[in-house]
Amino acid sequence: MDELFGQLVEIFEVESLDPNDHLVDLDMWDSLTQLSIIALAEENYGITISAAELRDAKTIGGVISLFENKQKS
Amino acid sequence: MSLKFTFRNKRISGILTVLPKQEIKFEDEMAQYNFPPAKSLKLKLAMGYNKHRIVEAGTNVSDLCVYGIDYLLNEGLLEKDDISALLLVTQSPEHFLPPTSNIIQGKLELGTDVLCMDINQGCAGFIIGLLQAYMLLEQESIKKVLLLNADVLSRKISKRDRNSNPLAGDAATITVVERSLEPTTIQSVLNMDGKGAYVLQIPAGGFKLPSSPETAEMKEDENGNFRSLDHLVMKGDEVFNFVQKEVPPMIEELLAISGKKADDIDFYFFHQPNKFMLNKLADKIGVSREKMPANIVENFGNASGATVPLAVSYNLGADALASTYEVCFAGFGVGLTWAAIQQKLEKFQFNHIIYY
Repeated sequence: MDELFGQLVEIFEVESLDPNDHLVDLDMWDSLTQLSIIALAEENYGITISAAELRDAKTIGGVISLFENKQKS
Repeated sequence: MSLKFTFRNKRISGILTVLPKQEIKFEDEMAQYNFPPAKSLKLKLAMGYNKHRIVEAGTNVSDLCVYGIDYLLNEGLLEKDDISALLLVTQSPEHFLPPTSNIIQGKLELGTDVLCMDINQGCAGFIIGLLQAYMLLEQESIKKVLLLNADVLSRKISKRDRNSNPLAGDAATITVVERSLEPTTIQSVLNMDGKGAYVLQIPAGGFKLPSSPETAEMKEDENGNFRSLDHLVMKGDEVFNFVQKEVPPMIEELLAISGKKADDIDFYFFHQPNKFMLNKLADKIGVSREKMPANIVENFGNASGATVPLAVSYNLGADALASTYEVCFAGFGVGLTWAAIQQKLEKFQFNHIIYY
């Protein structure tokens, strides 16, 4: 999931991210960023996630867990 | 697997697009949104928003359609007596009753031997309308069908909704559908899924929830957009996921039926919600972005079922009078509905844009 971590750093346009970072505290957290993550999930990981699931993930670590759980199921 | 249709010896002989004169730039509306300008500009870039065309208050679907049909009659591009049907695909009807297509017939003073029908379809409205037109043309009595794709949905979109307002667009297109002069085969595939009926909706204003002072109350959603129950609301993430999942296999199925390879098609004229989604679709289907024009939203906005014929008018223009093309039309959205047609475009008699 190192790759995903790097992709999220790019999407959020930051130097680095911490798994404990809260999504709502990040400057770039908005509907466009959500769509970018949804598109990334669809294109690069073959999984479907919704905006509500992303919001519920709450943190960067939560987003990574969401991707992992979706890939398993 | 999709529902399939096959038609023979039918054609589109011309498309006229009627656009509102009023043009609004994205930047001029940024102050209405509850977002920092820098973020809105980022959205503009990603989605391909720039300017859009919106009717003035009080302009209705019949105004745009009558203006366009009158133009065709006056220019000698259409004869009144040849019109056997007015198929109006709209989700902005003027009344619950009568049908708006009958209002158009009355204003034009057409004969009584004309079928008028309103069809409640949106994003896939050009495909659904063409299917109906081709079905009608199986009857010997039908000479020409006027397929009207017209909407003024900007009037139902909140100006403070950054989710929907930047892509709001109004337009009417008049597509003349008739028998072909040469043997042709048209293939089509269609799917609907009413389980997703509320992914795109206007919650209030119908019989179930009539408009009232309560439904007009503006509320903020979880992303910071303001709208009321009288306004159009769209679950953008669900639309995106639905389109990426369902549309590529549908196109693959259609091409297999048509016996064509992806590259045999000259143009993929698809419904245009935004550039982001369309470019992703082109990549996934495996066709070059040049073959799938994505320039309608940035220039005119998303006028629902009119985006596909508008894309033909705008991108082919007068070339369509001199050349023929193998095309694939597709529409996807409200319903949920997703459908596509593969056919040849024979030489058109007209193909341009006028302004109301």
